[in-house]
Amino acid sequence: MLEIENLHVSVAGKKILDGLSLKVADGEVAAIMGPNGSGKSTLSYVVAGRPDYEVSEGSIKLDGVDLAEKSPAERAALGLFLVFQYPLEIPGVTTMTFLKAAINAQRKARGEDELATPDFMKKVREAAKRLNIPQDMLKRPVNFGFSGGEKKRMEILQMALLEPKFGILDEMDSGLDIDALRVCAEGVNALRSKERGLLVITHYQRLLDYITPDTVHVMHKGRIVKSGGPELALELEKSGYADYAEEAA
Amino acid sequence: MGAILQNPTQAEQDLLASFSAGKAERERKAAFDRFANAGLPSRRVESWHYTDLRAKLRTAPPRAKKPDAAALAHAKDKLGTVDRFRIVTVDGFFSRELSDELSAVPGVRLRPLLEDDLRLKRLVQGAGDALLDLNGAYAEGGFVLEIAPGGRVDAVFELVALDGGTGAQGRFGRGLVALGENSRATVLETRGESGEGFSDSALFLSLGRGAELDYACRTTGGAAVEVQTIVARLERDARLRASALVAGAPFLRRQLFVSCAGENAEAHLSGGALLRGREHVDTTLTLTHDAPSCISRETFKYVLADQAEGVFQGKIVVPPHAQKTDGKMLCRGLLLSDEASMSSKPELEIFADDVACGHGAACARLDESQLFYMESRGIPRAEAQGILVEAFAAEAFDIIDDEELRDLLKLDLKRLLGTNFHWGAFS
Repeated sequence: MLEIENLHVSVAGKKILDGLSLKVADGEVAAIMGPNGSGKSTLSYVVAGRPDYEVSEGSIKLDGVDLAEKSPAERAALGLFLVFQYPLEIPGVTTMTFLKAAINAQRKARGEDELATPDFMKKVREAAKRLNIPQDMLKRPVNFGFSGGEKKRMEILQMALLEPKFGILDEMDSGLDIDALRVCAEGVNALRSKERGLLVITHYQRLLDYITPDTVHVMHKGRIVKSGGPELALELEKSGYADYAEEAA
Repeated sequence: MGAILQNPTQAEQDLLASFSAGKAERERKAAFDRFANAGLPSRRVESWHYTDLRAKLRTAPPRAKKPDAAALAHAKDKLGTVDRFRIVTVDGFFSRELSDELSAVPGVRLRPLLEDDLRLKRLVQGAGDALLDLNGAYAEGGFVLEIAPGGRVDAVFELVALDGGTGAQGRFGRGLVALGENSRATVLETRGESGEGFSDSALFLSLGRGAELDYACRTTGGAAVEVQTIVARLERDARLRASALVAGAPFLRRQLFVSCAGENAEAHLSGGALLRGREHVDTTLTLTHDAPSCISRETFKYVLADQAEGVFQGKIVVPPHAQKTDGKMLCRGLLLSDEASMSSKPELEIFADDVACGHGAACARLDESQLFYMESRGIPRAEAQGILVEAFAAEAFDIIDDEELRDLLKLDLKRLLGTNFHWGAFS
């Protein structure tokens, strides 16, 4: 379970999150919607532990473990995974090398043995096949020269291989055409389980047609201003975020 | 002996005093005279501006003698077993005893180097440098590795430079690798002399028409002050791919003089250097396109930690007759500390009008966004840094065509960086 309580975060002296609280239970798919600049991406980075964000107040807990003092790698080993809105390109590092380093680092951190190369290859090939990722893409450097759709599929592949306890999807739909969106959403849906919570961050209802959330939260000016069921997303699609802007003002 | 230096330093006096040449050794004498006129290069010599050898080399250690039985035994202990043809020098002297027997290998000849070798003379003329002259004056016991025209040797030749355990000495190794027309070879040079003394070595590469050579030099350690000179000449249609891996060298100057002397020759030069502490590594190269339609590519990568200093000077020279020249040069530095420094000076000297030449130089730190991305996948920061540094440097070795040689360089790099990245001091 992910529990965020009264979170205050500043970036370069500017307050971005202003007392945000949110709970997402195991097996729950929660969606966060909100206008540009409401702090959605900041929230995802802060939970993942990006260093240049200053948490002045509040707490983030994953399965009861306070993440405040944990490095990004430690958070990942605890079971947290972030699907980046803009996945990074890493020239010179092949995707296979990268995946192996990630899987084995997490296994090591959990006191497990490293995965033998044949087992690793088999696991990757099978997962890649399900996401329509051709084998030659795995031999290329991480995300290097990939299209927007390829990058997002690669993010979902990583999530499938790392089997996190909790996944955050930061605007997964940005840069995707309808077909790519469907493939990625199917990949995410395949990872839904009773043990795994997901937080889906998006501007648009469209993504939620493919990944049906259990709960929907509206974020504005760094805090959750309304929570409800999937019907809330539909309302927003009709009325926009203007009402919340006025409420907050 | 025409030593006309004004106010010679102690090192220069040491070097000038110990010279002697037989009557027949005209080349040696001429080289000595040139050195005696020029002396050790200081900052005032433009091509040595960033590496003040005159100030660095206070005294010149005594010249190494031809290795005796004890020295050979010392060197032999350092030789492991490898699946390569080895050509061994001890204190700069070619050792037939420690080298592999090559007489049975078709198309290959290994023998002592004679100073009146015509190929050597032509190569020496193509370069012009005080340290190359100093090497010419003092080197004894050099070797020639010859590949006959049309010869293709699958195995890798390894030139192994070892010391005889004699401590701080002046070592002057000298070798010639000569490839006949349309021959092909792969050569690895491993510099494993002790961390003391002064070394001034020279390797000459002569590539006949259509010859192809993959060459890489590994320097992991080395003399307190070391100069390596490589002089290469490529005839028509020849291909040279020359790379280098440098780590742990306290003070190293690598200088390359490469001439594309025949049409359609191709020279690919690269290097990956890892520096830390107060190490100083200077790569200075002159690539002369001396014929039309030649291609040259240079890629040099420096990883710099602590207070290390990297220097790269590259000059592409295109005389008026070298039309259709295609040359590109790139130097990149990765700075891992605030106190490390990189000086890059790429130069183009173009006198022909139909050419495509370019150069670039850049310095950067590790990319924090890339690091965060990797960490967010569970890869601890130090390991992520290591992966990025390795990827950065390893790219230099991609020019090598021979898979065995390329993999060997990449494996060495990986080993040097360690499984848990520890290169330099990270906060």
